[in-house]
Amino acid sequence: MFRTLIATVATVATASGAFAGGHSELLSKSWDEIVAQAKEEGQVSWFVWYFQPRYREIAKAFTEEYGIEVVIPEGTHEGNIEKFLAERNRDAGDIDVLAMGTDRIDLFDPTEMALGPLTDVLPEAPNMRTELGGHDGLGYAFGYWGNQTGIAYDPNKIADADLPQTIEDFEAFFAANPGAFGFNYENGGSGPSFFQNVTRNIINAEMDDWLSGEVTEDRMASLKPAWDWFLDHTDGYVITASNTDSLQRISGGEFTMVAAWEDHLYGLQVKGEIDDRIKYYIPEFGMNGGGNYNIVPANAPNPAAALVFLNWVSSAETQTAFNQVFGAAPMHPNADDSKALVPNEMRQYSTIWPGNPFNTEIRQAFVENVVLER
Amino acid sequence: MRWRRTLLILALLTPGLGVILLMIGSVFYVAVMQSFGYYNLVGEDSFSLEHWEKVLGSKQFSRSLSYSAYIAVVAAIGSVILAYPIAIWLRRPFRGSLAISAVLKAPLFVPGLVASFLFLNVIAFHGVVNQFLMWIGITDEPIRMQNDRGAWGVVFLQLWKNMPFALLLLTGAVQSISDEVLDAARDLGAGSFARFRKVIAPLTVQAMQAALIIIFIGAAGDFAFQVTAGPTNVQSMAQYMVFLKDSFGRWNQAAVVGVSLMILALFGSLILAFISSVVLKSGNKW
Repeated sequence: MFRTLIATVATVATASGAFAGGHSELLSKSWDEIVAQAKEEGQVSWFVWYFQPRYREIAKAFTEEYGIEVVIPEGTHEGNIEKFLAERNRDAGDIDVLAMGTDRIDLFDPTEMALGPLTDVLPEAPNMRTELGGHDGLGYAFGYWGNQTGIAYDPNKIADADLPQTIEDFEAFFAANPGAFGFNYENGGSGPSFFQNVTRNIINAEMDDWLSGEVTEDRMASLKPAWDWFLDHTDGYVITASNTDSLQRISGGEFTMVAAWEDHLYGLQVKGEIDDRIKYYIPEFGMNGGGNYNIVPANAPNPAAALVFLNWVSSAETQTAFNQVFGAAPMHPNADDSKALVPNEMRQYSTIWPGNPFNTEIRQAFVENVVLER
Repeated sequence: MRWRRTLLILALLTPGLGVILLMIGSVFYVAVMQSFGYYNLVGEDSFSLEHWEKVLGSKQFSRSLSYSAYIAVVAAIGSVILAYPIAIWLRRPFRGSLAISAVLKAPLFVPGLVASFLFLNVIAFHGVVNQFLMWIGITDEPIRMQNDRGAWGVVFLQLWKNMPFALLLLTGAVQSISDEVLDAARDLGAGSFARFRKVIAPLTVQAMQAALIIIFIGAAGDFAFQVTAGPTNVQSMAQYMVFLKDSFGRWNQAAVVGVSLMILALFGSLILAFISSVVLKSGNKW
């Protein structure tokens, strides 16, 4: 009965054009026509899972420019995505623009569930990034937020010249400073970025091979030297409860270095929750960078307003504002990135996340082989 | 007339039983079905034992299961052991007993997450405990107590939070024992401990069982204490379930953990209550 009901709803929804292509006529309109329709719609809801109060402030500029109200509901990352997936069969959902980490694009088929491709629709599209952090948004998803993992350090405890840059440097640091380095594997990607790149270096993986998402028994078995390395140096590091926990504890003087996100550290320093003395660097052995995507669901209730907002949020002006307010790495080539915590030349050490499912399997393997064995 | 009576009984039961059967039962049904490959948010639905095989075969699951069972047993038994002497002490009212009782039950009003954060502040690297230890000269530098591997922090929080609940149940049961019964036991030569094991324990066994069951179920499903103050080298079942869903998007495997947690809560609490009942009812034999 339940299946029959779902099937009926899906059939009706498909017939009424609720799925991808339901707003396809919109994509054939000129940009001026889209903007005019957006103003008629008068509202756009952006489901983003962090910094909502400050996004609401920044979005006032959009409302002033277009007269379109921006609604940014409270919600979690997973909660927003689950809502998007759950209401995919509705004629019109609640979400106009959905923000997500780039890796979440693998959870669904954007060509089925998102509006697009938008490459020839959005005026800013030539400057927008649909390939980001090792993921391809296929012209349906565009980066609006750049972020970078690295190491936050306390300059009162370690000089810039002594910062570990290689695996050998970290071994020496662990030996000389047991328990002075912290990272989290569970609630935050900076820890996984650290142990993934340590692993990549220890097994001497070529970058192209490393980024492949393929999972085989042989490949997983080849990671064992890295797990042994972590177990051999288990006194050198502490596993923390979360990214925020890591940063609060380094700010309080407990750690010398912790794995962290650049934008997360900057945001907490701006709010005064983390001491300004804490600095940040990307080690030469590499740590992952990436960002967040925006998509417009195929059943967005205000599709034209969603497109105008998507275009605006990726513009040079808005990306400059994101850098100044949040310290995010701009996704527009003409944006000002002067508020970044690391100099541009250091970004040459930025790497990207390996593809799925290897990306998730390596995290699971770290838990099984290191965390549970310590 | 008989069917009318049956309908009446069903109608009377509906408000209570209906909520349990429909609301909780449907959630349980979906979780079970999801663990077997149905109710996927994305992808095809089909019967599969793969999710059970993967989860049950993982080291992380067995560690989480044994850890949650350990915390639940310690929390339940520990809370009851701590609550019994206090309940007996408070059995007969005395000057200030009401105030003492109120203070002891205060943790019931503090949400677990709040308590956990307060606890973290106290034991933090530069928290008051470390400052005090350094001030009195026991240590020269702060001791790292946060997220201790032995889970002592979680055990402390569980006892702090659950002991008042056990006290609430046991106080009523102990107070219902009449003075005559205890005086008779005393007249027959029973000392304090003999009165406890031969009179008080057998007469309060039902309240004790209720406390054990409810505390066991709550502690087995703990999430708040574990993610804030718990050890980082092992996850509780609830934490593992959320971890699978949030970090990997593995809804089906998370459902397997959820169903396993419900099984642990059901059978674990019943076994604990049965064993404790046997032990206490045989009090006059030991």
